[in-house]
Amino acid sequence: MVDKQGEGARGQPATSAWSVPAGRRTDEWSQCVVRIAEHRDRTAFAKFFSHFAPLIKAFALSGSSLSAAHADELVQEVMLKVWQKAAGFNPEKAAASTWVYTIARNCRTDMFRRLQKFDTQLEAEDVGFELEGHEPTMALHASRGAVRVRELMSDLPQDQAQILAKVYMEGKSHSETAAELGLPLGTVKSRVRLAIQKLQVFMDAGSEE
Amino acid sequence: MVKHHPDTNTLLEFAASSLPAAQSVVVSTHLQFCSECRQRLAQLESLGATMFEDAEPVDINPSLFDNVLARLDEVEDDRAANDANASTMSWTVKQIRKGNLDELQWKKVTRSLRIADLGDIDGAAEFSLYHIAEGGRIPQHNHSGTEMTLVLQGGFSDESGSYHAGDFITREAGDIHAPTALPGGDCICLAVLESPLRFTHWHHRWLSPLLQLRAG
Repeated sequence: MVDKQGEGARGQPATSAWSVPAGRRTDEWSQCVVRIAEHRDRTAFAKFFSHFAPLIKAFALSGSSLSAAHADELVQEVMLKVWQKAAGFNPEKAAASTWVYTIARNCRTDMFRRLQKFDTQLEAEDVGFELEGHEPTMALHASRGAVRVRELMSDLPQDQAQILAKVYMEGKSHSETAAELGLPLGTVKSRVRLAIQKLQVFMDAGSEE
Repeated sequence: MVKHHPDTNTLLEFAASSLPAAQSVVVSTHLQFCSECRQRLAQLESLGATMFEDAEPVDINPSLFDNVLARLDEVEDDRAANDANASTMSWTVKQIRKGNLDELQWKKVTRSLRIADLGDIDGAAEFSLYHIAEGGRIPQHNHSGTEMTLVLQGGFSDESGSYHAGDFITREAGDIHAPTALPGGDCICLAVLESPLRFTHWHHRWLSPLLQLRAG
């Protein structure tokens, strides 16, 4: 209902830069998770750790949202979840990187809530939505035309890229982002929508937003 | 066919897990009805994952890996315990997802209206289920904050249109409406009203606008 004007939508192929044909993933990280699940393979786990732990730490430290000590705690929590939840990972439906990103995101939100002493009895996992297993034909996963996506990302105007980074990497709500940048909430919202449009995130959904 | 969806901003906050808990429950319940939004969520999560993967890696102290290795066996045993410790609120959310609404505590407010108060959650002034009897009407009211509503069963209409199962409706602060259940069955909705006192330490006892109306 909102972004109907989306000029990017015209004259473009029907698929977005984000889609790839679904199918069993053979990338090394997905294979790692499968080995962890099926064989409790600690060598595979070590390999996975050495690649993703430094990324999880970077994610935790984005925008100085957590202290170094909390960032280390988050890395441990996420990696332990990887070990626990590996059996639930389905390489046909998701890329391992997206899977581990959603775990890191949930753990961080729970940590934010604990640190702010919110007395919520709900964890991010309780209120979230697990896409895996829900959509057998979901044709969108992380190793899609990565080059194209990154090209579009590097073309994004700085003010939009900055807001996307705050929202995703720092886990800030739109209102927190607005307060930090000294912008009206409406400006933050419209920059987010413009960025999503420019990145052609929704192109293949082919619908109103 | 679901016609009313969360907007891009709401779905993105949900994808980045920065939407407050109660609002997230409403969005994720909508996702059960709506494959279009599930597809969008996958795309938004994928974008988040790309940014995550492209982050500049930060060095990890090698002792961290040893700590994790040492705990692998213990987490294995924790799983059953974690499930047993799930909170009442988490149980409630599961009942809503499964549609086991009779399990919840309903309170009769008027002849055609019952409410199940889902309790206090951060960021929400009010988080409830509404059961409106067929043809019943909720008195006209306005909101002090943004209200998100999801129709779970049946349908209702108000000044702006008609809504059916799966529809996600946002009303901004100050909007006034008087929802009426459509003919053909009772209407059940899940709604969350954003607290204007969010992030403050006040423990302001909320009063439902509906209850206020009834008293007045």
